[in-house]
Amino acid sequence: APAYPTLLAAPSSPPEAQSDISSDSEEEEDREEIDEQEVYDLISTISDPEHPLSLGSLGVVTLDDIKILTPTSPRSRISTVTVLITPTTSACSLTTVIGLGVKVRLVNALPPRFRVDVRIKEGTSKTADEVNKQLGDKERVAAAMENKSLVSVVNNMLATCE
Amino acid sequence: MPAITLLATLSPPCNARTWSSTPHPHLPIIATACSDKTVRIYSLQNFQQQSTISGGHKRSIRSCAWKPNSRGESVLATGSFDASAGIWRRWEEGGGNGQDAEIDFTGGLSGGGEKDEDDDDEWRFAVILDGHDSEIKCVTFAPTAPLLATCSRDKSVWIWEELEDDNFETVAVLNEHEGDVKCVAWHPSEQLLASASYDDNIRLWGEDVDDWACCALLTGHEGTVWCVEFEDANNIYALGSSENLTSEQQAYVQVRLKAGPRLISCSDDMTIRIWRRVPKDKPELPAGQIKTPSIWKNRDFEEEWIEECRLPQVHERPIYTVNWSKKTGKVVSTGSDGKIVVYEERWKSSKISNGDADGDVVMAGGTPAPDMEDLTAKKVHGSEGHMGGLTEWVAVAEVENAHDVFEVNHVVWAPRADKDKRTEDEEVIVSTGDDGEVNVWTLDT
Repeated sequence: APAYPTLLAAPSSPPEAQSDISSDSEEEEDREEIDEQEVYDLISTISDPEHPLSLGSLGVVTLDDIKILTPTSPRSRISTVTVLITPTTSACSLTTVIGLGVKVRLVNALPPRFRVDVRIKEGTSKTADEVNKQLGDKERVAAAMENKSLVSVVNNMLATCE
Repeated sequence: MPAITLLATLSPPCNARTWSSTPHPHLPIIATACSDKTVRIYSLQNFQQQSTISGGHKRSIRSCAWKPNSRGESVLATGSFDASAGIWRRWEEGGGNGQDAEIDFTGGLSGGGEKDEDDDDEWRFAVILDGHDSEIKCVTFAPTAPLLATCSRDKSVWIWEELEDDNFETVAVLNEHEGDVKCVAWHPSEQLLASASYDDNIRLWGEDVDDWACCALLTGHEGTVWCVEFEDANNIYALGSSENLTSEQQAYVQVRLKAGPRLISCSDDMTIRIWRRVPKDKPELPAGQIKTPSIWKNRDFEEEWIEECRLPQVHERPIYTVNWSKKTGKVVSTGSDGKIVVYEERWKSSKISNGDADGDVVMAGGTPAPDMEDLTAKKVHGSEGHMGGLTEWVAVAEVENAHDVFEVNHVVWAPRADKDKRTEDEEVIVSTGDDGEVNVWTLDT
């Protein structure tokens, strides 16, 4: 089950999400499978909530600002995807919504072994700390995705994906 | 080294995120708050779902609390993202007999679950508590008085008094936090409430004459404080017999007894900290003395708490829950990295602590409790690397991927109740995760 409900049809998950992760060797291959380019492809087509343009074309998300960290210990299976976003506006609420859209898209599209950290790129917004804290707060993100009006804004942003 | 071993997964699981689980004060059951707007009540005897509570909330149920000392009838409070708290009641089978109360599995082999309408019907919705402006994050009953505390994203802590059955009155709305209040916890023997916040701080609240007010501000965490909890009033005994202690150790025991139960907290900053009250040296007032002027009262009301020590840093992502065993004094923690870690407090041996005599792995990174000089100086924070600490916390067991690759939201000690229970006092660890499962673990030494 996806961590956050969306009203979209289920995004086509990478093949491994459907496969039963059972053996270590399989797991090793899985780790190879997802790279920064794939993450970029998942989020660059998200629409900006204000403009009829994609986050990729606006430069809000760029390939260079996506990093994947592999598990920190051999026993751990948790990878981390960090996405830095560059807001086009300094309006805090809109920046939060964009961040939320990126986070929801990745949480729902990537296998659950990925932790998704979405942050504002340093020096691009005065309210970066505030927005980063909100986006990093699991409970707030979960509650936001139970808020119908926010869900509908996010779903509109994600409707252009794929 | 002790091992954390999976004993059972409660059945059936929820098909959405589960937030937290709360063991009943005397029955072998546990209530799990689910994002599907239900509470699932599971048996810790056979690990099956016994009943569900649904229909009362419009959004995620985030937290549940059992009313203590309510023999004959179970009373459950629920806190929801829909900004309301609910009170639910259910007669206990053979009410009043505590442990002897048999749970009625009318579902039998049909597997329980939604078919058990008879069971479900036994939960009676009593009252809804409205007042918060946004998501309720935590609810908890006081052990010492008929009080319920709730906290919310609206930055406030509310204290409700149950005047008579189902009649709750707001006795305080506490607004001093500057961010969401994530967790509230009562002191085990005093009317003292702790709250943890998104503003990175912990506040303690007490009743000053007639009004509830903040009596201490605990600063230091560098991220959201997700959870706070007081230790049991008798946790000092977790350090073992008072015989054969050095004079320094005896002095530390005295300080601890005077300070009372400590507070533990965990945070987004990946630290777990223990806080201790600095006892006041106030002379006893002679009997019959004239009423103290209010300015002095206010000064008496404020409390000073210091960070006594930090636990070894094992987690690599935010820590969502820390829970203190009331039986053994051991601490268990969990969080975003999916690990469950158990820690134990010990007297520090006079030798270097690396390579412990028991052969346990000593995880580095914690800070020792302050030495006696610090205790008398009363002001030093334990985090500054005082090597003369009298006790130390050691991570004694750890399990990774406790809920597959999912985040673990909550972990709690509960009395073991299944047929394979090994000792009268044995406890299990119950964990609750984003995969919708509730797992039961034993700590094997």
